[in-house]
Amino acid sequence: MEMNEHKTVEKDELTGDKLLSGHEYDNIRELDNNLPKWWVWLFIITIVWSVVYIFAYDVFKIAPYQQDEYKNEMAAAGVLSPGQPAPVDASTLVALTDQASLDAGKEIWLKQCKVCHLDGGQGLVGPNLTDNFSIHGCAYGDVVNIITNGAPEKGMISWKTQLTGDQIKKVASFVMTLKGTTPPNPKAPQGEPCK
Amino acid sequence: MENQTFYYDNKIVKNFAYATLFWGVVGMVVGLLLALQFIWPALTFGIPYTTFGRIRPIHTNAVIFAFVGNGMFTGIYYSLQRLCKARMFNDLLSKINFWGWQLIIVLAAVTFACGMTTGKEYAELEWPIDILVAVIWLVFGANMIGTILKRRTQHIYVAIWFYLATFVTITVLHVTNSLAIPVNLFKSYPIYAGVQDALVQWWYGHNAVAFFLTTPFLGLMYYFLPKAANRPIYSYRLSIVHFWALIFLYIWAGPHHLLYSALPGWAQSLGVVFSVMLIAPSWGGMVNGLLTLRGAWDRVREDPVLKFMVVAVTAYGMSTFEGPMMSTKTVNAISHFTDWTVGHAHIGALGWNGFLTFAVLYYLIPRMFQTQLYSRKIANLHFWIGTLGIIFYAVPLYWGAITQASMWKEFTADGFLKYPNFLETVTQLKPMYATRAIGGGLYIVGIVLGIYNLILTVRAGKFLPEEAASAPALAKTQGKRGSGEGIHRWLERRPVQFILVALVAILIGGLIEIVPLYLVKTNIPTIASVKPYTPLELQGRDIYVREGCYTCHSQQVRPFRSETERYGEYAKAGEYVYDHPFQWGSKRNGPDLSREGVVNGRQYKPNSWHYNHMLNPQRLNEQSIMPVYKWLITDDLDLSTTAKKIRVMQFLGVPYPAGYDKIANDDLMIQAKGIADDLKSQGIQVEPTKEIIAMIAYLQRLGKDVHAAGMPTATITGK
Repeated sequence: MEMNEHKTVEKDELTGDKLLSGHEYDNIRELDNNLPKWWVWLFIITIVWSVVYIFAYDVFKIAPYQQDEYKNEMAAAGVLSPGQPAPVDASTLVALTDQASLDAGKEIWLKQCKVCHLDGGQGLVGPNLTDNFSIHGCAYGDVVNIITNGAPEKGMISWKTQLTGDQIKKVASFVMTLKGTTPPNPKAPQGEPCK
Repeated sequence: MENQTFYYDNKIVKNFAYATLFWGVVGMVVGLLLALQFIWPALTFGIPYTTFGRIRPIHTNAVIFAFVGNGMFTGIYYSLQRLCKARMFNDLLSKINFWGWQLIIVLAAVTFACGMTTGKEYAELEWPIDILVAVIWLVFGANMIGTILKRRTQHIYVAIWFYLATFVTITVLHVTNSLAIPVNLFKSYPIYAGVQDALVQWWYGHNAVAFFLTTPFLGLMYYFLPKAANRPIYSYRLSIVHFWALIFLYIWAGPHHLLYSALPGWAQSLGVVFSVMLIAPSWGGMVNGLLTLRGAWDRVREDPVLKFMVVAVTAYGMSTFEGPMMSTKTVNAISHFTDWTVGHAHIGALGWNGFLTFAVLYYLIPRMFQTQLYSRKIANLHFWIGTLGIIFYAVPLYWGAITQASMWKEFTADGFLKYPNFLETVTQLKPMYATRAIGGGLYIVGIVLGIYNLILTVRAGKFLPEEAASAPALAKTQGKRGSGEGIHRWLERRPVQFILVALVAILIGGLIEIVPLYLVKTNIPTIASVKPYTPLELQGRDIYVREGCYTCHSQQVRPFRSETERYGEYAKAGEYVYDHPFQWGSKRNGPDLSREGVVNGRQYKPNSWHYNHMLNPQRLNEQSIMPVYKWLITDDLDLSTTAKKIRVMQFLGVPYPAGYDKIANDDLMIQAKGIADDLKSQGIQVEPTKEIIAMIAYLQRLGKDVHAAGMPTATITGK
């Protein structure tokens, strides 16, 4: 079969393309078509792009690796130093009482606080916030302080990197409204009785 | 030359075909259960064997190795005999291949359900089964190569090139990635750790996609598409160029799974560029397939086999364009860890592999049963339901991925994360998850219709186990190239040389990327404060691996403001040096856990929280989709393994003091009592010997060492 490979040129009847002689596998034939031009160009473009990419990132290092990208991103966001706890004078703060603030506080509560203190503030991992006891002080300012700075060794994290001062005040104000409510399955009192 | 008569073995093809259908249904039904667990986490049933982390590997392995694997064997055993004009080399090897493979699948399902896993995606099988896989795979290879060597055709056709590349590369990948030191029959530690383990694993993982899901199926396309369309292959030259380009380039692209990780920048760059260079070689297969149909498009409308093929090849073209796009850093920053990857994988699995498998089955079953397909109408219905299923599956996931990635990255004007609670970003996706489940369900309905159609076809026909064929014996030819014989044409009649060239082509990329990570120290800068896990933490880590926590939780914080704000310091190569295996994960259905133990961090939770969360996650937040892990609280930790585990770790280079294995359990108990006492102070009574204690110890260790190094933790100062 292969011997007369070059003698006769067979053509595919439907397309008129040249068939390769000797290329027959379980009746599958192969055409002698060239690579599609657009395909060749696509391949070349991706290769050129890749060479440029490697030169930019890894040879001349004019494009940033991820560590530098991160520095740039943080600089652009104006982030520079570890946040400092805002000093709060517990005695001077007054809880918010307007409904809008309390509603906003409740929304934060349901997103962030209830995973430890449960929905109604009855406590589970964190202490019960409905009773008349407290580990870190009973005044509104104490609540703001503990939310802001946390007590990580006891399991309460600092929220100052996740909530604004304004949000902390709102959620602390909401916490103040929990006191005296009677949700189901309250946790036993912890800390000191409030005066 | 005189004609010889011989018989094609159709029985082995039939066996593989039936196994394909059976495992296809099993694998996809498990997939549907997983999809439903996103909506109703109670569907994990509160028992270990049906929990997400354990059955997710059953789903992926069943679909890849059982459904697609058997489909691949079906198509290869059918086409190879015909392309070689020879019966399979050895009937016994065929049988061993078939029954051995089914045995592996059953063992895989059982061991995964029991929590025996290496914790490496798509390579979860423990070492005894890994050895079995290697043996059976070599049996397949011997049988295939034997058949090729006794062929009655001069040249090997392009389909066989792809089959050979598949065999050679999967052998190399499977063996290299599975190297591990056993602790006992059911547990081993990989010889690689951390970044090295990650690179080897994703070199494997990516190329399992390439050489298990792609090259064998391209081979099948090259046989079944021209046969079904009765058309010649569009371009022999394109076959050559795209074949070699594909296998050479593919092997380099693994690091694209590790962009923005702790992998060194140069390796990430290689992953990016080799992925982009893969577009044309991948499309070469699609183009050669679709252009082969020139002049036969009217038949595509009529013939379900061609219809399935056209959608399969188109899906292949789509995912092989999408893949390189996802490999660019810009897109990857959004697509990685989200459902985008899952959508992408399913366009490939359901569209390319699933549809091509059914095209092959619809082609060869009627022929082997000497009849026509029972119903074209049902096949068409299967086609449309399946196509609709794929769309309903993938589109919501793309939508969900972009939604979730945007939520992760969104900051308020005050410079705080808008959605600091990870769960919010999951709850948002529930409608998408529901739609995805419907899509998957539709696809399964299509498969059931297909099986029904094939059963009726089988019933109507008469099986021809031994199909007679005849061809002249292969004339002896000279080894050297003849005059005017192209070098490739020569290679096509020298299969052994062909295999060797292919082996060299696939080894280059892997060697260049993996070896420097071992030889060049600067690639993984050490961190002095990173110390080996305590015995209790090590045991806890093994429980973490056993439960498949990595299927939903990453341990890899990317260097983005949105991630360091949410989790803490971004990942460093040096912090993972004792992680056998690495547990970076690839998808976040829950938050990253690699900073979980940093007491001053944003993710920190006290011991009692972890206890309550494992016992009943929905009590802490009813929206949570975390499964219940209450058996951790009742089951005793197996202390008998501690000493051996320490010794294996020492053997792998983890610097425990000499003789530490003998006193490890003493240290373990001291630490366990400490945690139990702390829980007690919170009103929780639990013995220190329970598994939950080890799990908590491990979680509380995560991130501690790297933060102890005094890494600058940049923070936004709120206004």
